[in-house]
Amino acid sequence: MATFWDSKFISRLWGKNKPQAEERSIFEVFSSFRRLLDSNNQILDLMTGMGDKLGGDYIFDTHYIHTSCQEIASLVYKLIHHFNFIAQNRYPGLDDAFWRINTGIQEMLEGKSSLRPDRQCTISDTFITADLEEQVGAKNANLAQLKNVLDLNVPDGFAVTSSAFHWFLAYNGLDREIESLTAQWKENQISAKEASERIRAGIDNAAVPPGMKKEIQKALKKLAGWGSKKKLRLAVRSSAVGEDGTNSFAGQYTSCINTCVDDFFKNYKTVVSSAYKREAMAYRDANGFEEHEMAMAVGCLEMVQPLVSGVLYTLDPVRPEENRMKVNAALGLGSPLVSGRAVFDDYDVDRETPHKILQMTVGEKKQCLVAQPHGGVDQEAVPDALQSKACLTQEQVARLAGIGIMVERYFRAPQDMEFSIDVSGKIWILQSRPLNIKEEMSRMVCDIPKIKEKYDIVFSGKGMVAQDGIAIGKVFLYEDGQDLDDFPPGAILVTRHASPKFAMIAKYAAGIITDIGSPAGHMATIAREFRVPTLVDTGIATSKLKQGQEITLDTEGKVVYDGSAKALCYYVFADDNFADTYEYRLLKRVLKKISPLTFVDPEDKRFSPRFCQTCYDITRFAHEKAVEELINLNYYDLKHERSRAQKLKVDIPLDLMLIDIGEGLAPGAGTRAVLPKQITSVPLNAFLKGLTRKGMWNSEPMSVDFKSFMSSLTRTQPPHQTQPGSIGQNLVVMSKEYINISLRLGYHFNMIDAYMGPNPNDNYIYFRFFGGVTDAGRRTRRVSFLAQVLEKAHFRMKQDNDLLVAKTKKMSWERMEESLVLVGELVAFTRQLDVKMLNDTYVKKYVDDFWALSSRSD
Amino acid sequence: MEKEKTTSIFILDDEPIVCKRLKASLDRKGYVVQTSCDSVKALEIVSHTPFDIVITDLKMEGIDGMQFFTEVKKQHPETQVIVITGFATLETAKESFKKGVFDFLAKPFKLGEIFAVIERAENNIK
Repeated sequence: MATFWDSKFISRLWGKNKPQAEERSIFEVFSSFRRLLDSNNQILDLMTGMGDKLGGDYIFDTHYIHTSCQEIASLVYKLIHHFNFIAQNRYPGLDDAFWRINTGIQEMLEGKSSLRPDRQCTISDTFITADLEEQVGAKNANLAQLKNVLDLNVPDGFAVTSSAFHWFLAYNGLDREIESLTAQWKENQISAKEASERIRAGIDNAAVPPGMKKEIQKALKKLAGWGSKKKLRLAVRSSAVGEDGTNSFAGQYTSCINTCVDDFFKNYKTVVSSAYKREAMAYRDANGFEEHEMAMAVGCLEMVQPLVSGVLYTLDPVRPEENRMKVNAALGLGSPLVSGRAVFDDYDVDRETPHKILQMTVGEKKQCLVAQPHGGVDQEAVPDALQSKACLTQEQVARLAGIGIMVERYFRAPQDMEFSIDVSGKIWILQSRPLNIKEEMSRMVCDIPKIKEKYDIVFSGKGMVAQDGIAIGKVFLYEDGQDLDDFPPGAILVTRHASPKFAMIAKYAAGIITDIGSPAGHMATIAREFRVPTLVDTGIATSKLKQGQEITLDTEGKVVYDGSAKALCYYVFADDNFADTYEYRLLKRVLKKISPLTFVDPEDKRFSPRFCQTCYDITRFAHEKAVEELINLNYYDLKHERSRAQKLKVDIPLDLMLIDIGEGLAPGAGTRAVLPKQITSVPLNAFLKGLTRKGMWNSEPMSVDFKSFMSSLTRTQPPHQTQPGSIGQNLVVMSKEYINISLRLGYHFNMIDAYMGPNPNDNYIYFRFFGGVTDAGRRTRRVSFLAQVLEKAHFRMKQDNDLLVAKTKKMSWERMEESLVLVGELVAFTRQLDVKMLNDTYVKKYVDDFWALSSRSD
Repeated sequence: MEKEKTTSIFILDDEPIVCKRLKASLDRKGYVVQTSCDSVKALEIVSHTPFDIVITDLKMEGIDGMQFFTEVKKQHPETQVIVITGFATLETAKESFKKGVFDFLAKPFKLGEIFAVIERAENNIK
C-alpha cells in the first residue's frame, strides 16, 4: 500500500528521483539539438496554419481543430524530450508547464462546462473577448468587444460567469430540482406555471456560495475604484448564453437598474430567477432549447445617468429595402421605450455619411423614467418646454449613425443597439445584438441583378485573403509617410505594403487591399481582430485603383468591382457569419493557449517554465536554453571513440584542432591533417574566410611592458567566465551547419558558437571574448572596439570590463555568412590589439582601420 | 448572384459547419445546392434526384462516404463525385479514384480550391 513516504514529494526530497547526468557523445547531443529545431519549426508552421484558418478563406471542421491540437501536443512533447536530453533534465518544470497547458486545451476541446468551484466567477470587461461567450453570455461578450476592440464608450463593469451560475445552482441542489420539475412539466404532470413558481421560489431562498460571494465582492470593490461603494450605482443585467444571438430572447429576462452595491446579491438572484419565468421557459421550449442548456451569466455595469436614451436599428427592420437607419429616442432612461411603454421621437436616418435625418416624428413626451439618487427609478414629469422638443440634434444622430455603421461592419450584420447620452453629450452604448431580419434580407437578395453584368471588374484572382468579407467604399490610396489622421471612416485602405501601423484606422476601414503582404503577417492579424475584409499581396492594387474611386471588394472571389454593389453587402447580412460559429470560437479559444508569445526577454527573471502560458512559450524557452546548453558544453569532457581530432593546415600561425560530428569534412579528408578546401562546414568556412583575410592577421611581435604583463598574470578570471577548453588546445567542433570554436590567441580567449541552416528561424551566432595581456584599461578598450563593430552588424551585446558577449539570431543565410566572416576578421584583427590601445582615442582609430580592411567595404 | 448556373450540387458531411459554409458560398455562385449531415438520408435523396456533382466526406457514422458514392455512381454514372476528407491518406485517395471519383480534396481546404475543382467537374460533364 502506498504511503505518504512513497509520495513524489518525499522522493524528490530524498533525491530518489533526482535526474542522473547521462554519459553522452557530442553526436547524440547535436542530433537531439537538430531534432529539437525540427520540432520547433513544425510547431511554428502548424501554429501559423491554425491562425490562417480564422481568416475565413478555409473550410475546416472540429475534426481539424482536434487533430491540430493533438499534433501540436505531440510535437511539443517531442521537443521537450529532446530538450531534456540536451539539458540533462535540469528543467523538470517544463514538463509540468506542458501538462498544465495541454490539460487546459483538452478541457476546451471537450467543451467542459465549468462546474468546478475553483473556476472564475467574475471576469472584468477588460478581459472579456469574443471567444468567452459561453462563459459570459453574448450580451457581455458583444459589449466587451465594442469597448476593447472598437474603443466605444461602454460603462465599466464585469460579468458574473455561467460557471458561477452552475455553481450557485449545484451548491443549493437546484440543478437536480430544476431537472426534475422540468421533466414533470414536459410530461404534463405539472403546469408550466407551477414548475416556474417552484423553481423561482427555490432560487429566491438559495444562498450564494461563500467563495463566489467573496469573488464578486472583490469585483464590486474594484469597480467602485477610489470612490465610495455606497455611492456606486449599478445596472445588473441578464446575459444568458444564447441570448442576443440568433434568438434574441428580447424582453424575456429581468434587469435591475440603478441599484446599490448592498443589494447586489438580491438583484443577482432576481436576474437568475427571471430565467425561469413561465414566458421564458415557454420561449425556450418553442425555439428548441433544452432546459439543461440554460446558463445565466449576468452583467454588472456602472450606471450611466442619461439625459436621453434610445434604440438604434442600423437597418429599418420594417422596411429594410429602403436602406435607412431607424432611431427611437426618449428622455431619461431607456427601459420604458424598449418595453413599449413610452412616447418617443422617431428618426429615419441616411445610412451614408453625413447621416442626414431624412424624416422625423417628435412625440409628446409628458413623462420620463429617471434614476433616483438613493437607488431605484421613478417616473417624473417632463418640463413643458421639452415635451414637444426633439430629444436629439442632427449632430447627435450623425454621431450615433457613425457608431452604428462601425458596429454593423464589425459584426457583419445589421444591429439593434441601445444607447444613452449623458449630460456631457457623451454617447454610451449599452447593448448591441443582431437585428433579426434574415428572412427579409433573403427576399431582397433574390431580386439582386447579376453583379458581373452591372459592375466592371477592376481586377480578380490576385492576392491572398487575410480576412474574408465584402467591403464597399471609396479608395483611400495611402503612401508612406502620409498622415493616417486623414483616413475617412468607411473608406477602403489601398496601400503598397501591409503594416501594423494601420491598426489605428482598422476599426474605421471598410476594407484593406495591399500590393505586398502576407496573410500570416501582423497586419493580417489586426485585420482579423477588427474583422476588416482584407486582401493582401495583390501586386497591382495601387496601380489599378484611383484615389476616391468607389469600389466593392469581394474576398471570396478575390474580386474588386468598380462601383458600390450594395446587393452583395445585403447578401452578407442574410448569411450566417462564420465568426459567430462554434468552430470559429473554439479555434480562437484553443489558439490562445497555443500561439501568443508571452516570453520576450530571456534575461527577464520570469523567463522560466513556471511562467509559460502557451505552447509557444514552451518552445521559445526550450530553444533558447538548448542553444545555451550547446554553447556551454564542455566538449573536452565528452567521451566518444568516434571523435578524432584532426589538425587544420592553414596559412596563419594557428594550431587548430577539428572534430567533425556530421558532414563537416569532405569524404576522403586526411586522418591527421585537413586542408581548408576539405572543409564542408558552412559556418566554419565563413569564419576562416574572415580569419585569414589579407591584412587582418597581425603577425608583428608586440612589445609588452612589464607592468601590463604582470597585470595579466595576477588577474583572476572567475570560473564561470572561463571556458575549460580554452585552457587546452584550440578546438573546433563542427558539422555541416554548426560550429563551436574555442580559441586562445595570446592571452585572450574567443568562443564562437553558431548554427547556419536554410531556415532563418534556426540560425544564430554567439560570440564570447575576454582576456588580454595588458592592463584593465587597454583590455576594456579592446572590448569597446569589438562592441562598436559588432553593434553596427546588428549583434546584441553585453559588456563587462574585458568580457564581451555578443549574440545575433534568426538571420538569412546570406546575412549569417557575412556575419561569420566579420567575426573571423575581428578575431584576427584583435589578436594583439589591446597592446596598442593606449587611450580612448585609439578605439575609434581602430574601428575605422578595421572597416577599411574588412570585406564589408569591398 | 455572380453568374447564372444550373449545375446542381449535393453535399454530404457529418459536420454541419462544412455543409453550411459550402452551401452559402456555392449558393452565392449560383449553384443549386442541397445538403445533408446524415449519410442514410442522403442516400435516399440522391436515389430519387440525380445531381450533377456530389461532394462527400468519407468518414461518417452509418454508411461511410466510400459506400455512399459507390452507390451514387452505380445509380447515376454521369454524376461527378468529389471527395473531401480530414483523414486523407494515399490509400484512401487511390481507392477513391479507382472507384470513379473525379477529385479528392484534403480538409481543410480553401474555398478557391473547391471552386476550381467544381469548375473542372462541370467541364467534365460537358
